[in-house]
Amino acid sequence: MIKEILWLKTENTYPYKNLAMEEYLTMNVKDGQCIMYLWQNRHTVVIGKNQNCWKECKVTKLEEDGGYLVRRLSGGGAVYHDLGNLNFTFCVKEEDYNLDKQLSVILEAAKLLGIKAEKTGRNDITVQGRKFSGNAFLKIGKQCYHHGTIMLNVNGSDMAKYLNVDMKKLQSNGVDSVASRVASLIEFRPDISVAMMEASLIKSFSQVYGLTAKKISEEKLPAEEISKLQEKFQSWDWKYGKKIPFNHEICERFPWGDIQIQLKVNGGIIEDINFFSDAMEQDVITLIKGALSGREYNAPALIDAVVNAKLEAASENASLISNIKRDLVSCIAHNI
Amino acid sequence: MAKLFSKSHEWVEMTDETTAVIGLTDYAQKELGGLVFVNLPEEGDDITAGETFADVESVKAVSDVISPVTGVVSEVNEELLDAPESINEAPYEAWFVKVSDITEKEELLTEEEYDAFVAAL
Repeated sequence: MIKEILWLKTENTYPYKNLAMEEYLTMNVKDGQCIMYLWQNRHTVVIGKNQNCWKECKVTKLEEDGGYLVRRLSGGGAVYHDLGNLNFTFCVKEEDYNLDKQLSVILEAAKLLGIKAEKTGRNDITVQGRKFSGNAFLKIGKQCYHHGTIMLNVNGSDMAKYLNVDMKKLQSNGVDSVASRVASLIEFRPDISVAMMEASLIKSFSQVYGLTAKKISEEKLPAEEISKLQEKFQSWDWKYGKKIPFNHEICERFPWGDIQIQLKVNGGIIEDINFFSDAMEQDVITLIKGALSGREYNAPALIDAVVNAKLEAASENASLISNIKRDLVSCIAHNI
Repeated sequence: MAKLFSKSHEWVEMTDETTAVIGLTDYAQKELGGLVFVNLPEEGDDITAGETFADVESVKAVSDVISPVTGVVSEVNEELLDAPESINEAPYEAWFVKVSDITEKEELLTEEEYDAFVAAL
């Protein structure tokens, strides 16, 4: 039975800190409490706990553009967040968890803004059949959260730029995203803003639970504990090092020969590599194969390995070596 | 040996005094819905009764799996990684881990007691 409802909106937009706050609030919510945490991430792709980040997101492109890759604690698919998106998290104990009630806070908030939203399928909230909110759930011991996005005015071309990974021959065991027809609420209410939705959510939160929502002051939360959780979310191990083995095959043709590279990646590291080529310079190929093996699976690390590979012993043709290096660098940049 | 059950919905089959096989109960798989991913410990990992040793992702949520015993993981069912849905299809065959050197156990229920426990939920 919920006896106390609390809310918090953070001004922080650095995603790893937001996820740390979310985990802290979830792990510390008490019996009879429901916390509604509102937050926004800037320039971020968030993937599900068990997803392959390279399969779901153009990681290199995202990071080159100054964006962030985030792996959340809950399951499900990849989403793009920018400041046109508002996230909510309901933190409760298992006994107080009530998905229908929590969802009705979102539906009622939309209704207060004149938007007729409905719950569809298991995890989506839609308007006119188009999804503006995806939801996911977590249970750690007795601590639970239900969180989701609310797309108010998300940059659709950025979303497409980072999320659509289709050219890759990537085979993996992780959880695949399901593409949806999405919409931002601005299409249904042109003057909508984050502040309006926020106010509306706080109002509907109180209405649905029949209690007055009290504000949590962010300054009173233990900064040190939250910053420890933040370190986990921003660590290489958590983001990329997940032990979901996968294979990536790259085939290209160059003036000096065709290549086929098969990478076996586990925990973010190239565990095994096959490198086939019909090029005359087989010794060069063998040396490059050796240089790539054991490296981190990311474009800068692999490009560095190719550029610094000592190939002179395998061929005296300096201009050919430099051509092979140049082509492989662009091949890596293009494929990874 | 007959299977025993924990209140957090894992089953345990003691293969002798200090070794066991662990999985998720039928009730658990029904509550979770279609499973899409399983994170398992590694061989040689120490696991502790009452603490998380694995987690599963279903179409509904990510949830912990609690170890009913304290011991050492001697074998991991890697087939689950490729086919998490086998837990839904045959929960009492889709074992998660085999454990050896068991020193402690959670409070475990017989099948009859567990059925009554679940019926009361």
